[in-house]
Formats: sequence, C-alpha cells, structure tokens
Amino acid sequence: MYQYDAIDQQLVNERVAQFRDQTRRYLNQELSEQEFLPLRLQNGLYVQRYAPMLRIAIPYGMLSSDQLRTLAGITRRYDKGYGHFSTRQNLQLNWPKLEDVPDILAELAQVQMHATQTSGNCIRNTTTDQYAGVIADEVVDPRPYCELIRQWSTFHPEFAFLPRKFKIAVNATESSDRAAVQVHDIGLQIKKNDAGEIGFKVIVGGGLGRTPMVGLTINEFVPREDLLTYLDAIIRVYNQKGRRDNKYKARIKILVKAMGIDEFRKLVDAEWRHIRGKESTVPMSEFTRLQSFFTEPNYETLTDNPETLTAKLADSTGFARWFERNTFAHKKPGYRIVTLSLKKPGQAPGDATAEQMEKGADFADQYSFGELRVSHEQNLVLADVRQDQLVELWEAAKEAGFATPTLGLLTDMICCPGGDFCALANAKSIPIAQQIQETFNDLDYLYDLGDIDLNISGCMNACGHHHVGNIGILGVDKKGEEFYQISMGGSSGHDASIGKILGPSFAQEEISSVIQKLMDVYVSHRTDEERFIDTFRRIGMAPFKEAAYAKVN
Amino acid sequence: MLKLIKNGKIIDNEQIWIQDNDTPITSNAIVPLARWHAEQEAIGKVAGIWIDAGEGTEQLEGVDLTQFAVIGINFPAFTDGRGFSYARLLRERFNYQGEIRALGYFIPDQQGYLLRVGFNAFQFNADVDLEKALLLHKSFSVAYQGDANDPRPMFLRR
Repeated sequence: MYQYDAIDQQLVNERVAQFRDQTRRYLNQELSEQEFLPLRLQNGLYVQRYAPMLRIAIPYGMLSSDQLRTLAGITRRYDKGYGHFSTRQNLQLNWPKLEDVPDILAELAQVQMHATQTSGNCIRNTTTDQYAGVIADEVVDPRPYCELIRQWSTFHPEFAFLPRKFKIAVNATESSDRAAVQVHDIGLQIKKNDAGEIGFKVIVGGGLGRTPMVGLTINEFVPREDLLTYLDAIIRVYNQKGRRDNKYKARIKILVKAMGIDEFRKLVDAEWRHIRGKESTVPMSEFTRLQSFFTEPNYETLTDNPETLTAKLADSTGFARWFERNTFAHKKPGYRIVTLSLKKPGQAPGDATAEQMEKGADFADQYSFGELRVSHEQNLVLADVRQDQLVELWEAAKEAGFATPTLGLLTDMICCPGGDFCALANAKSIPIAQQIQETFNDLDYLYDLGDIDLNISGCMNACGHHHVGNIGILGVDKKGEEFYQISMGGSSGHDASIGKILGPSFAQEEISSVIQKLMDVYVSHRTDEERFIDTFRRIGMAPFKEAAYAKVN
Repeated sequence: MLKLIKNGKIIDNEQIWIQDNDTPITSNAIVPLARWHAEQEAIGKVAGIWIDAGEGTEQLEGVDLTQFAVIGINFPAFTDGRGFSYARLLRERFNYQGEIRALGYFIPDQQGYLLRVGFNAFQFNADVDLEKALLLHKSFSVAYQGDANDPRPMFLRR
C-alpha cells in the first residue's frame, strides 16, 4: 500500500499543528462556534447527540495491521473501546473528547493516517472496490488512481468551501460495481480504449440523501493523464454555479439536473479546454511511482482447492457455508479473499471492538501480508489468504466473532449509527438491525432467501444508503414518534436503481413482521434462479404492498 | 485609517471600498463591477473594481485589467467559496498581475488557501485583530497541487 515520504508526512504533521492551534483558540473563545465549525468538520470532527464524533479517513479502505492496532489503541484510550466502520470505508469514534482530538490526530499521523476532509463541504475520502488488486476481472488496479485523487484533493486550495460535500468513487471491474460509482457526485469507471490506453468513463451527479439520483455519463473516456484537469474543470464549474441558497439543493446532482447534462458538459468542456495539457497533466513517471506501491506481495506458487480445503468443505456444513458466503475468488491460484464480518448478532452493524481490531490486525499479519481493507458494506477484508489456511482462519475468526456466515444475505445489513448517536437522525437504526438479526436467525432460511441488500438509515441524509437497498428502511419522525418507511427495488451496482416507497410507514415493532411478509411474497413468486431483486423487478411492487398492508383477521 | 494585510505586512488601506451606487467615486475607489461597467466613462480612472459572489469573471472578458491596481473579491459568507475560483481565474486565465484583495466576511484561518489561489491582500472586517490574523498568514509549507503561485503539482517537484 502507499507509504508516505517526507513530504506527505510533513503535510499531515503541519495539519495536526494547525488543528491543535484552532482547537486551542476555540476553547479560549478566540474562535467562534460558527467559525470553528467548518474547520473542525474538515478534520472529521462533528458535535453529536452525546459527544463529538471523529471520522478517521481510511483512504480507499486500505489499512495496514499497524494502523489497525493504532486505531484499536486510540478507541481504548480516547473512547469506549470500539469504533464504527462506515459505508465510505472510514472509521468513526463515537465518544472522543473535543480537547483530545489534536492528540488523536498526532497519534494517527505517526502511522500515516489523518481525519482530513472526512466531513465538511469539500472533497471527501475517495472510495473503491474492497477487492481492488486481487480479482481476476479488473481492468487495472484502481488504487494508484485513488491515491492520485487523494493527493490532488487533499488541501485543494480552491475547493475547500464548495456548496456541499463532494464524494468520488472509483471502480475498475466490468462485471460488478462494489464501489457504487453511479450514486456518487463523481463516479469513475476505469476502462481501456480500443488502443489499449487507460482512461475513465466519468459519471456525474449521482447521490443519495433527500433527492436520490443515479448519475449521468458526462464523458465516455477521459485519458488517465487528463484526469486531474478534468476533475478540476467539473468542480470549478460546480463551485461557481452550484446552489448555495438551500443546503438541500446544493449537491452537484441538483445543478446537473437543473442545467441538463448537455449544458453542464458544455461548461465543463469549455473550462477544460483552458487547463487540459497544462501542468496538472499527470506524467507517466507519477503513474509509475504510484503503481510501485501496489505491486503484488510475494505470492507462493500454489494450486486451487488443496486437500485440506476440500476435505473440510465435504465434512463441515458450517465451514462450507462460511466459505460460500464470506470468501471470494482470488486472481492467484491457491488464494482466496476473506471477509471478516462485522454483522454479528447483538453488535451494531459495522462496529468493531478494540479487541476485534487487534485480532483483525493479527490475522492480517498471520494470513494476509499485514494488510486489510474496509468494505462499503461495513466489513473487514483479508485480501490474500492461502486456501490451505482457510480452515485455521475460520476457526480463529469464529472465536473472534468475525465469522457470521451471512455476507450478502438479508442480515448483512448496511446501517448508520442512527438516533443512538447521531444528532441528525429522526429515528434509531441499530435496534431495527438487531430486531431483524434476532428474527432472521435461521441460517438455512437465510441461505434459501439468498442475496438481498437491506440498508437502514436513521434519517433522509441516507448514510445507510437505504435508497439503494433491495429493501431500504428509513427512520422518519411522525409527531415526535419514531416510524420507519420501507422502500423496495434499490440497487447500487452496475444496474443501479433508486428504491420506491412501499407505502405508509410502520412502527418499530412491526418491522420484522413486515420484512417476513415481503420474504413470503418473494418465496412464493420466485423462479429457480431469481434473486430477490430479480423477482421484484419482474412482478413489481403490487403483490408486496398487498401483503405488507393486508388486514389481519 | 483602516489597515489591511498585504503581502504579509499590515499596511494602511489607501483605497475606499465603494459598496453602493450613490457614493461619489474618487480615484482611490474600488468600485462594484456592475457599476464600473455601466458608468466607466463617467467614473474614469479608479484604483480598482470588485467582484461579488455570483457575478463571476466572465464580464471581464476583453477588459484591460492592467488599468486596475486592485481587484477585490467579496465574500458574503466565509463558507461561500466562489471567490476562490474567481481569484484563480483572474491569475491563471486573465493573467492579472495586480493586487487581488479579499473583502467582506472571510476568516484568518482561510488565508493559506486564499494565498494559494492568488489573493495577496486581506481587508478583514473591523472586528478582526490583524496582528493575530497575521500569525495565520501562511499556507502549509508543502502542497500537492499546483496553484496560482507555482503551477507545478507536487508530482513535478518530488
């Protein structure tokens, strides 16, 4: 993974010193609440319901075992011994003290980490596929390009006070899109043109929140050397033309929709003409430098399906289930990608204790070249595990509470922290996740239901991505009481779609029984090979709606 | 006399920031862009013009900017970042070499970024302590991107 040089290190060190001074001036009342607000947000610090929340950047989800150990130590010393991995591959601390944050940032800087631009109206952490670099069907490894974007966006002097937040995601796989590029402010799909040159299909104006939209293609192929000037052109247009009178209409998607993609493209192209080919054009030497950090580890020459693996698969249903759901094909023979699930019943989705983080770090050292990734679905990933060590890892992962074999199933939910922590939330989301986990605890049944994305957000800011869940649950406030609106038909992959609302919202205690009714409709209508989303797309909302609201006699 | 920070020093502000359409224009005035456009023959030689957030730089196409010692850019709110792009366009697109002055509601902590996009003068609102603001008058000592002062990104300088 990327290693800082003296320049990168100096920059994060100066940032820590700057924020220490800003915090001191705020606590001395030299800096007003209002003026400190965007400064602290651009260092990831929110003021939440009970305590501040600090969002630590995990650039494109890559973590070393040492970094994860440092994070574990920080949660123990400055927080309550756990953290929450978010859908944007970051880590959130729920209980730090504001006056400790400069010290936390200083500790992070020692392991080449920071909380820069994890919040605020600026360019946020760039995200990508958690399987980057280890799957067979990717065009190229997207991580060098993510690092290029990270450096370009970090302390970009022109774009620190945009109309609203700005999120970029990169995908390099044609068969699937685990980075959800169509629902980002800018989505980049890496591709090769007919001449074999690398470039990006650029999608703009996607996003969730109050007005969910699937993005539109603004350029079919931007050569990779032109990426930064093209991004500058898009964001320069947005910075000047995006709405600033209403924060709910300030995202780039609203500008693109209001102007129309053709008109928006004209403005971007006009801007780009001035800067294309100038100094920000990326030279081959920089691609080479960045790629040098993402070379293959020392893989052994192995073969697929070693005897230890096949014997255990035949012998243990529990292992076979875990293998089927929680591991994924690796590009190298004899290796496998393993997801350590953070969806254990009784634990909030995406939460990990300090002990789990340390265990995860140990597993990374022992089984996966000392590196991990954080996934958009709020799990941890060991990307390079030898197949002949899977049984051993499975045993250890079970012990550590990491082996819930439900990846991609109904209970592998995406869930925001909700009203238990977040000041913005209309309703709690974690108790909904727990209710669903408790109700749907029969693994045979979950396996029979198969792939279903269920996403929960505690308010319409949509941090739990409910719009793109096959089933989405949104917390709403009805005269001071917490209710939940259910939507169906969303998807975040290449076939991205925004879910539609099922009907009137439900009380908290009704959710599981409603989900059960939706599952019953699916089971009775599905054909042999249909996933939930396929059946929904074929038969439509009506039968589900009828079942969900049928009067009980 | 009001003071301002220019090129890293606190100096006397010798210009007058004209914010309405009625104040008589003197040769040391910084005039609203729209008013200058409408009345430029009558106004004659002035210290400069200023651009409000939302006006953009398009209206300066074809204007000889060397006649202005100062171009001001107003921040109606310090979170309104449009002026960052305007300054950069003035330097990089219009090749304007004179003073670019931040006006209105911006905060001392923004000087680092403002300097990098091409501002070199800061006329803070009266409640800002300029001595303290001067302590924050610098950007980080390294930067990844090119900017108005050095167009080369770090990858051309590493």
